[in-house]
Order: sequence, then structure tokens, then C-alpha cells
Amino acid sequence: MRRFIIFIIFITVITIITPGIAAQQVSLSLSPPLIQAVIKPGKAILIAYSLENSGDPTILTVKVVSFEPKDNYGNIHLKDQAEGPVRFSLDNANLTLNQPFFLKTKESQQLLLRIRVPEGAPEGDYYYSLLAETTPSIGQEGTTSTQAKATIAANILVTVSQTGMVEIKPKIVLFQVLSKLKWKIFDSFSQIPLVLMVENQGKNLIVPEGKIQLRGLFGTKADYEVVQKNILSQSQRLVEATPSAEFSKQPASLVLSGFFLGPYKLSANVNFGENSPTIFASTSFFAFPFKLLAALILTVVIIIFFSKKIY
Amino acid sequence: MRKTINTDLAKWKSKFIKIITSLTTILLILIFPLYIKAVSMDSSSFRIESASINNAAGNKTSDNYKLSDTLGQLAAGEFSSTGYIVKAGFQYLHSIIPFRFSISNININLGTLMPNTPSTDTTTLTVYFGGAGQYQVTAAEIGKLRTLNDAANIPNTSCNGGADTCTTSQAKVWTSSTAYGFGYNMTGNDIPSDFINSTYYRPFADRNLSEAAQVVMSSPNVGKNRISTMTFKANISNIQPAGSYQTVINFVATPSY
Repeated sequence: MRRFIIFIIFITVITIITPGIAAQQVSLSLSPPLIQAVIKPGKAILIAYSLENSGDPTILTVKVVSFEPKDNYGNIHLKDQAEGPVRFSLDNANLTLNQPFFLKTKESQQLLLRIRVPEGAPEGDYYYSLLAETTPSIGQEGTTSTQAKATIAANILVTVSQTGMVEIKPKIVLFQVLSKLKWKIFDSFSQIPLVLMVENQGKNLIVPEGKIQLRGLFGTKADYEVVQKNILSQSQRLVEATPSAEFSKQPASLVLSGFFLGPYKLSANVNFGENSPTIFASTSFFAFPFKLLAALILTVVIIIFFSKKIY
Repeated sequence: MRKTINTDLAKWKSKFIKIITSLTTILLILIFPLYIKAVSMDSSSFRIESASINNAAGNKTSDNYKLSDTLGQLAAGEFSSTGYIVKAGFQYLHSIIPFRFSISNININLGTLMPNTPSTDTTTLTVYFGGAGQYQVTAAEIGKLRTLNDAANIPNTSCNGGADTCTTSQAKVWTSSTAYGFGYNMTGNDIPSDFINSTYYRPFADRNLSEAAQVVMSSPNVGKNRISTMTFKANISNIQPAGSYQTVINFVATPSY
């Protein structure tokens, strides 16, 4: 009996003390998420990144690859390697690029990234991503399993320039309200999505500034500030305005909401910094309380119908 | 009595017609004078049906070399003296939240597969991106689920087939126990809209076949922590050779620019 009680206590203690088996997890953070640099050929800069591991201990590898815009909404497509004249290396004494290293839980590693532009490098923009990727473990024998490899990125936008002067060649390629109908007619109570797409035809990135203005009947007026997001060289980007818009199906620059009645005119005035060209676009729409009118008609019809019944 | 009722009815009909006519007239008057004639404009990427787009002045279309405000005219002196200008972060965000990506379970165990009995396991993807503006997470497999000696593989799923044939970019229903393969479902925040419910699956993009990694989470709006669950599923036939099948899924979390 005594042995049995000791055995039970032993099992209970073991069960309580033994930590629960949790799935192996990975959690990485990398900052800053974006670096913009204008560098003269022959010069180098040093950027300090912070890579933190909040998950289980892991083996990480740091590398740099090129990227290009994937779409008009700010997403990127990573390439397999770094292209262009810009050279990257780590100034850390014990780390080099493409060399695995171990990072414990709750530990962070400073990455001293040297970005060097060789003499004679052609002027223009070069876009890269600094990647920190985990090394997947080997799966268990006897079961079917999938190992997850996590990669986190931070983007680096490098402008190579001899003088610090950059080329600004913007164009508005789309500015219109999104209507389900052929005509730009909306119900007064509907949300009205607006799209402003700017193309950068130059060889350097540009940042839009300015506003979208709404003008209606009886002096109705509203201004919406353009959000300053980078538009990379030779690409297009949806330019958003505050309050930033989240539209259910289709991305939009701005979603107008409220009560609208009659004709409205929208205009976009966008510039790209001091002394830069201002580009302009306009569009219009018409709003009427169709649903309210339909409800009124329906009410009248119902009243007539019941009146007929009564009399 | 019948005559009186007929007279009332005629009066009501007349009134009703008048009301409808008035409303229609008002409607037509409001709509037609404001009809906006569409001007078709084409570019390589878009067809603009009805927009008025102008460049403000002549020099706007010429090649102008000027300092961008992003890099700053105020930094012109700095550039000439140091040879570089560096900016970190986003102009429109003032957040100290770092860009963080987490996977709750990196060893997805599908166990011992039984023919015609789908096996599943899940992992949770979490993205904190307060300081990154917007983000995307892509996923791709390094190859099909294969035995360690590479003698056999489990093909990527086509879902139920026929009208429900899924692709790497289009999820479809996968409920049939005789539809074999390996694929995934997504639920939660910022997932592709084609994952309508938990029966919708896609195969992973196969890097061995040079297929492009597919976006599994993305958001164009600034936010804090976004969480989604990925369900992995494998189903094999009676003739699937025995063995331990394995692969690696590469998840890449990228902030915007």
C-alpha cells in the first residue's frame, strides 16, 4: 500500500512538473522594414538592422536579393539573387551573408549591413530585400510531414546618383470612380470608390503629395490628403488618400461615403516635392436617392392598393 | 353602388398615373441634363472609359531632373558633403511596432496516411506590421511530398476535379475521399478571397516546377496583428507506395515599400 501511494505521488509529481510539449514555433522580427538611400558611386553606408527571435531557438541565414514591384498595390516579387552594381556585406565580426548562425529564444542579433556602390556604377534605382530565413528541421521518420521555413524581409531602395538630383517623370494613368453601371451614377447612400493610379516613367522612385478634392452642389467641398508612398521607377501604384480606403472587393484610393445628391466633380492635384511638376486629373459622378424613391413609389402603390380594397 | 365604386376606382387610377408621371418626369429631368459623355483613353495597362486626365502644363511631360521631396532638397548640402542620404521607415507612418512574422507550428505532422482517409494538420500564421504599412506572406513548396529516397511522391491536389479543379491561385472544393493529393486551406485575417470556407483548397506552388509562390496573406492597410490558420491536407489512394513523405513549405513575409 505504501509503495502504491509513493508510486501515485511520483506519477503525479512527474505529470505536474514535466512541461507540456508545445509545437515548435518560429517568430522573427526585422527592423527597420524599409531603408531608402541615395548614394554617390564610390561611397558606402552602414545600416544597423535588429533581428529578434521570439520563438524557439533556430538557425538563421541572412542574405540579400533583388526585388521588383509585383503589382500596382505595393506588393513585391523577390528574385533569386542580388542584381545590379550595389554590393552588400556584413560588418559583424562573427557573421557573413549566406552563412547560417544560431539565435536563441528572446535573443536579438544586430546585423551591420554595409551597402557599397562601386565607382562607375550606372545612375539609377536598385531595389533589394534583406532576408532572414530559418533552416527547416528534418522531418520524422515513419510519418508524413511538412516542415515550414520562415523568411522575413526588409526592403532597401538604393538610388545611385552623382549629384543627388533625381528624375521625376510621373503620369496619372487612371482617375475614376468605380461604378457597377456604365454611367457613373450612384445611389445617394452608396459608398463611392475612387481609384487614382500614378505611373512613374522616370528612373528614380517618386513620392506623391497633394490632395483629391470633391466638389458638389451648393458649395459642398471636401479635401483628402494623398498618402506619401513610394512609387518605384518604371512602375505604377495605387495612390491612396486619407482617410485610407478599404473596399471589400476592389482596392481603392478613397471610398467616399455619406449622402450625395446631384452632380459631383472630383479632381486630383499631385506633385512630387518642391519644384516638381504637378499633375492633374478630374472625373465626375452623379448621385440620386434611387432606393429612397423606389421605397416611396412602393409605399404609394401599397397605399393605393389598400385604399382600393377599403373602398 | 357598383357605379360609385367604379367611379372611385377611375379617380384613384387617374391619381396614380399622375403621381407616377410626375415622379418619372422629375427623374428624367435630373438625370439627362447631367449625362457625362465618355472619352475613351487607352494605355498599356488600362482602358479609361470616362475620365478627364490632363497634365497641368507643358513642362510636366518633359524630362525634368529635380530633387525629390522624399530625399529632400534640404539634404542637398548633406549629399554633396557626405555622398549619401539615408532614410529609414515610412513617411506616412510613425510606428515603433516592428515587422514580425510568426508560425505557430513548423513541423506539420500528417501522421500515418490511410488510403481514402484525408489527414490534416494546422499551423497559425501571425503578422505584426504596424511599422511596415502593408505586407504580404507568400508560400511555396520546394517540391512535392516525396519519400526520403525520392522513389515516390504524393501529387499536388486538383481538389474534387471537373468544375472543382483547383490551381495554385484558385481554391476549389475538396471533399471527395477519392480525390487524392496534397493541398492547403486558409481561414482567418487577410486571406485570399477564393478560400470561401473550410472545404476550399489549393495545391502549393511547386518551386521545382518554377511555379511562382502564391500570396496566402496580404493587406494594403496599416494594422497590428493579423492571424490566419493554414490547414494542410493529404489524401492517398490504395496504390500509393508506403513510406515517409516529406517536403518543406517556404513562407516569406515581406513589408511594402
